Amino acid sequence: MKNIGIKLAAVAALALVTPTMAHAGKGGSAAAIQSAVKSTSVDAIIAEIERAEGLLCEDCVQTLTNLTEDSRYEVRQVAAWWFAKRPALKDMMVAQFSSDLPRGTTVKVRNAADFLGTTRSYATLPQLRAAIHRSDLGVEARVALVRAVKAMGHISGNEVLTTAMADSDPGVRAAAAAAWRDIRDQASAQPVVALLADSDAGVRARAAGVVGGMREQTGRAALEALVAGDTDSTVRRNAAWALGQLGNEASRAVLLRATTDSSSLVRGVARASLASLH
Amino acid sequence: MKQQIKSIAIGAALFTFGGIGCGGSDDPGPLGNVDSLIILQRPSRNDTGDIFSYTSYKPGARLVSLSPPTADGKLTTICCDAAGPDYADIDISSYDISFDAKSIVFSARRGKDSSYGLFLLQIADGSVEQVATDPGREFVAPIFLPGNRIMFTSNLVSETGAMQHEDEYERQVSIQLGRINLDGTDMEMGARNLSHRTAPSLASDGRVVFTQWDHLGEENSGHLMFVNQDMQELREAYGKEGKGASNSTLKAREISPGRFVAIATARNRTINAGALIDIRLGDVVKDGDVVSAAANQSEANSKTVLLSPNVPMDNEPSSDTIGRYYDAFPIDAKDKPSLLVSWSDGPVESEVLALAGLSADFGVYLYDSAKQQRLPILNDPNMWDIFAQPLQPRTAPNIVGSAQDPKLGGQTLIGSLNVYNSSLHQFQAGEIYGVRVMEGFSSEEGFPEDFGTTRHEGHANLGVAPVAADGSWSAKIPPNIPIHIQTVDKFGMSSFSEPVWFSGRPGEARLCGGCHEDRAKTTNVSPGQLDTFALGATPMFGTTARKDRQKADPASATEIVGVAWDKQVQAVFDVKCISCHGNDNAAGLAPYTITDMTTGELVAEWTFNLTGDDLPAELSVAAGGGAYSKSYFSMAGPDMEALEKGGLAVSPNFKVYMNPLDARGSIAIKTLNPTVLFPTPTTERAFPGEGHQGVVLSSQDFYTLILAADMGVNFYARENNPGSKLY
Repeated sequence: MKNIGIKLAAVAALALVTPTMAHAGKGGSAAAIQSAVKSTSVDAIIAEIERAEGLLCEDCVQTLTNLTEDSRYEVRQVAAWWFAKRPALKDMMVAQFSSDLPRGTTVKVRNAADFLGTTRSYATLPQLRAAIHRSDLGVEARVALVRAVKAMGHISGNEVLTTAMADSDPGVRAAAAAAWRDIRDQASAQPVVALLADSDAGVRARAAGVVGGMREQTGRAALEALVAGDTDSTVRRNAAWALGQLGNEASRAVLLRATTDSSSLVRGVARASLASLH
Repeated sequence: MKQQIKSIAIGAALFTFGGIGCGGSDDPGPLGNVDSLIILQRPSRNDTGDIFSYTSYKPGARLVSLSPPTADGKLTTICCDAAGPDYADIDISSYDISFDAKSIVFSARRGKDSSYGLFLLQIADGSVEQVATDPGREFVAPIFLPGNRIMFTSNLVSETGAMQHEDEYERQVSIQLGRINLDGTDMEMGARNLSHRTAPSLASDGRVVFTQWDHLGEENSGHLMFVNQDMQELREAYGKEGKGASNSTLKAREISPGRFVAIATARNRTINAGALIDIRLGDVVKDGDVVSAAANQSEANSKTVLLSPNVPMDNEPSSDTIGRYYDAFPIDAKDKPSLLVSWSDGPVESEVLALAGLSADFGVYLYDSAKQQRLPILNDPNMWDIFAQPLQPRTAPNIVGSAQDPKLGGQTLIGSLNVYNSSLHQFQAGEIYGVRVMEGFSSEEGFPEDFGTTRHEGHANLGVAPVAADGSWSAKIPPNIPIHIQTVDKFGMSSFSEPVWFSGRPGEARLCGGCHEDRAKTTNVSPGQLDTFALGATPMFGTTARKDRQKADPASATEIVGVAWDKQVQAVFDVKCISCHGNDNAAGLAPYTITDMTTGELVAEWTFNLTGDDLPAELSVAAGGGAYSKSYFSMAGPDMEALEKGGLAVSPNFKVYMNPLDARGSIAIKTLNPTVLFPTPTTERAFPGEGHQGVVLSSQDFYTLILAADMGVNFYARENNPGSKLY
């Protein structure tokens, strides 16, 4: 458990909080946060931490530190957000969390990734890139590494995503495909095209959405094959939608056939996509 | 709780068929002409306390009809059992009934989906088709629009390369208005707010009323807005001007023209539920049993009637028998209207419910607001029974569109007929040189969840449009971006700052009467062409890509776009200030101290210091990026409320030197005493006396500091965005 020097941290927190402007950030207290934690209500915890956005609160620091290692992602995220508003404290936490990446357990890496991602600690991207190559991490940690890169939205995290797209776990692969689209200045969805042939339907469905959302023309043939013959209606639907985004007239025939698909999920989407072809 | 429900149901069964009444009366009651209700049932939950939580997936939702609309009516599932296995594990978040009452549009997520999408249900046969929307984005809160369209809210952003705004406080990706044809074609997104928009509802005049989260500095609340069906001509409806009944006003529905029922609540912990309020925006007219308020609609003219006294409008737990209301649908337009409501008893507050291991239990009731009585209709204790509506045809309002000017080339035109015409501020004649327009953005552009310790949003100065002799001004700006404006004097300092963001669509012309003119009056201007149109609108990056709306090395004051503290502001301090206000405190300023009032212990001591150094070890133990500088801390100062709540006292000589959005009132600016900038620089000073200690600052130096203050005293701007580097 993280244990930064309370006094030092409180003084640092004091120094770097300035006239609080957000009305909704007022009124919080350590007692209110602790009460919310006891209730186990994620909603209440989030509400109280948000209310303490600008609060100078020595007693809050350890409570919030503990919450960065909570089992629930929403709680870890809001705790990290609180620290993000206190740069000095955040930097202390970043140093501690990033040291968990090369050798920490699955849970420690998960917690570290979520903190570093939420606080957009870009300087830790090299360590995140190294961590995704560890062979001893569980799925939870690998998903969190992808989630961190998505939260940062930084192109220097692409290697994490491309590595994760080849992960053995379909959940990791799907998360990586989805995250690819949320990276700023992402030029192409080319790495995601290969996932259109993934063995897992969920991955194929996600990949189709990304390829369509980013209008990656190199995926057209694979998308047409999915519309024509995938066994999963969600995959066919997403692929039909993606073809509409690509807008290539060559897709007309397959989309026409899809307007009589056995699934109503696909039929309406195919008709709409036909109208987008040019 | 179950015993209570059972006894209510037994009591309800005694009411007459087709209506609510007692003792064998022939009065059919408010629901006498209603054959059936449509109700959404969602498995109970306790994770939507925040009013902008728009995703909460729990499978098992269904749309049901209740016919007749009584507690002993027949309950039939209409969606989505008959729709096939594709619709298993579905959660439905909201719905709307078509004008002909033959179909329903709803927002739902299936087990296999990663997001909520839009679906169309044909009531006659229960068939469902999906409306073609991006499967990687959320689409919620759909309503039918005339002309075979659907309006919705979504986190989709259609600007290539742009990320959706993330509200600084909400931390969630925001949702914005959009619309699409029923057949899934022609989807378009509206201009964006910097934070959320939600709960659209169609009014009889063809406008759409919705809730907008306004977050700019101190402002942090949910207000009602109007917009045309084409998502142009955004206009405030209720709450922005201080007459709101609560922090947030949600789920407004028209009772009659100019009159709306809505939920008044706090931003969080209340499960999106609160008190019922009757908002009358215009002059109240009674015509028989119908009360309306169509004429002279404005917030200034509005009246609010509290229909549910005792229901809290903050986020304190509600009491037994008081509870909170989730939604309301008006059945009539009487002075005290009858409403179909969803209501839950007990402490409808997320922490208390979680402690008890419970969820709110929303059921459908007919609410008699005159007697303040709830008559039960349906309450499944395992489900939220919400959004009850009569299944009846309704008249579609006209298709209301707005003008588009192709000559704008996709830009948005903004301006005022006479900027001096204001209901919020008293301007002196000739006081205003121009209007500064600033673009807003949030941390989605790569910032580390904060732009500085003042908690303002990111700002980019798009420019200052000069005000013409007749008080008019205009500018061409990029479309679809949130902006706010300030009137500025000849020194470049803001004299009045608009406290909310607004935006326009490509080709939209938004000409206001003044600077928030009285909404209930007509703005009069002299006949003839406005001077600003004769002069031409000021170009303000209207066709410039987002990534290019920055300037790292402005060559003059008027080229400054963003103000990066560690580059642009620090550059001024390094050359002009640190010889006296450096680490050696050559100016000899006394430090201020912060003392623990309980122990008397000295907690910290700080001396004014304008170097760009990191804070000293005792105040900032970590090296490297992320820590703000000595100069930033000296200017922005610590949090006085935090000090007070922490039992700390600051010595009397403490000062904050820069006030967000208020350069004119900032000690630093007053001390330095800027010179005239507009229209051309002169040596005339803004305040009595000369400058500070003989220090010579250029126009660009002054304007850098003025903009730093007027744009929120941020540390970060696009010009020093840490997300711009490679790692």
